[in-house]
Amino acid sequence: MTFRNLGFKWLLRVSSALIIVGLLVEIASLLWFHPLSFVLFAFVGASLIGLGIVVYLASLVFVASPKGEKHG
Amino acid sequence: MTQILIGQIILSIGLACIFLIRPSVTQTAGWKILAFIGLCVLPALCIVGGMNIQMQRSEQTQFCTSCHAMAPYARSLYVDDPSYIPAQHFQNHRVPADRACYACHADYSIYGPLKDKMRGLTRIYMQYVSTPPTTIRIPGGYDNHQCLHCHAGARDFEENAIHSATMDALKSNQMSCISSGCHDTVHNVAALDHVKFWRPGQ
Repeated sequence: MTFRNLGFKWLLRVSSALIIVGLLVEIASLLWFHPLSFVLFAFVGASLIGLGIVVYLASLVFVASPKGEKHG
Repeated sequence: MTQILIGQIILSIGLACIFLIRPSVTQTAGWKILAFIGLCVLPALCIVGGMNIQMQRSEQTQFCTSCHAMAPYARSLYVDDPSYIPAQHFQNHRVPADRACYACHADYSIYGPLKDKMRGLTRIYMQYVSTPPTTIRIPGGYDNHQCLHCHAGARDFEENAIHSATMDALKSNQMSCISSGCHDTVHNVAALDHVKFWRPGQ
């Protein structure tokens, strides 16, 4: 299964879900005043958000076709 | 600052929810631009803003002392004895009271904050994953530059006969500021049950 076969809409949903979960984790880490909140933010929240951004950008590069094909 | 970031996060979540529920809206140019802002620009700004707030927060005394292992060290800041170096610095505001730990334990070199953060993560790893040490020690010992960062160049420090006689040894770390016979009473947490404490406002 190639990246292109997954479809733009599906990847957009995955990207959005990852970003939403990451941002919710970030809010939790901001409201929790403890050394572990930094770990939660840096290793869970930021990673999920970063992964969501990468999935979104990858969907633009590899799936949204330059030939004008309709999205997935 | 935190409230602004939380507002920005909520806005990002709102936009991401739209693309989660109805990804087909990204067919038009306007929605494509909005998708780029909502799924790339705003989340990236949230990471940068969050990291900035977390870094600033980790410099606060309250942050350090919220860790269970640091509780006795936090108590030692209130010892009613001027020979306790951290206590007299904290109580007399020789260091900012809200950043007392960071002021004396930060690495002031260019990559210092990064090194400090890595050391902090090592401590968290020891606390929660491996075995925490029974005695907390600073790796490599206490660096005099953390004292000299403020005291070097200060008149009463430079004019002190002992300081001026040992200045080269102090600057090269050959002799520690907290060595025996000098400023050797630091946190001294083992003796906290036998000392008197200062209560602010009394």
